[in-house]
Amino acid sequence: MDAANQLTALLNNMFATGLLDEQFQQLQMLQDPSAPDFVSEVVTLFCQDGERIIGELAKLLEKPTVDFDRVDAFVHQLKGSSASVGAQKVKNTCVQFREVCQLKSRDGCLKTLDLVRTEFYDLRGKFQTMLQLEKHIQGFK
Amino acid sequence: MAGAASAAAERKVTIRVLLVEDEEIHRVLARALMKAVGGVELDEAGNGAEAVRRVREGGAYDLILADRQMPVMDGHEATRQIRALGVTTPIVGLSSDSLAADVDAFIKAGADDFTPKPLSKEKLNHILAKFNLA
Repeated sequence: MDAANQLTALLNNMFATGLLDEQFQQLQMLQDPSAPDFVSEVVTLFCQDGERIIGELAKLLEKPTVDFDRVDAFVHQLKGSSASVGAQKVKNTCVQFREVCQLKSRDGCLKTLDLVRTEFYDLRGKFQTMLQLEKHIQGFK
Repeated sequence: MAGAASAAAERKVTIRVLLVEDEEIHRVLARALMKAVGGVELDEAGNGAEAVRRVREGGAYDLILADRQMPVMDGHEATRQIRALGVTTPIVGLSSDSLAADVDAFIKAGADDFTPKPLSKEKLNHILAKFNLA
């Protein structure tokens, strides 16, 4: 399978499995010759935000007394960042995370953090593959 | 961004929009959307206090889009302070939290409308049409 077909298959799979939603298509529509790296820019910001926020959440949840308001604020940020890139699964888990946070349950938050971490790194890996394929395709144009 | 140039040409007047947003990913998206819609001169403030300062210093805007959760000063307080200056520019609150209580809190602070994040071309066009800026 050539790179273009691999990219199409990858994106189709990401939509079919609910990793991405229609917001990602909005981003693709906003990319044009005057902004050829727009999708890559947004995806990169999402990946940087996600890694930073997950790190902050892990630190907050390790503390003897958890500041659930700060936890909630970070999850809110990740939810917004996910929504902007169309990362549907991560966004939905952030919604669950905030519900658990309202219950002030450290165990619940830790379990949901594990889930959001797994989903985020799974998505990040696929985004990295996507960007590599796009770069490869651009190299042949 | 197909059609951006023609959309800009169709709008005879350039409008000035102040985006009050602390997170880069949302600013990048908003910039692309404004460009796609065309005819928008975008100014940005990284928090509510900066937005209030820009307005106080005479920034004449046709529309203010304000995020809720920001460092230094949030969108609700910024909206209250801008209204206290006697400014009647349409203010639209933005947040990924869009329950009735979230909308109500922005409206009570003095916003004219509320739009859930993420911002899209459709939502932006709706806002511009609502305030006769399209």
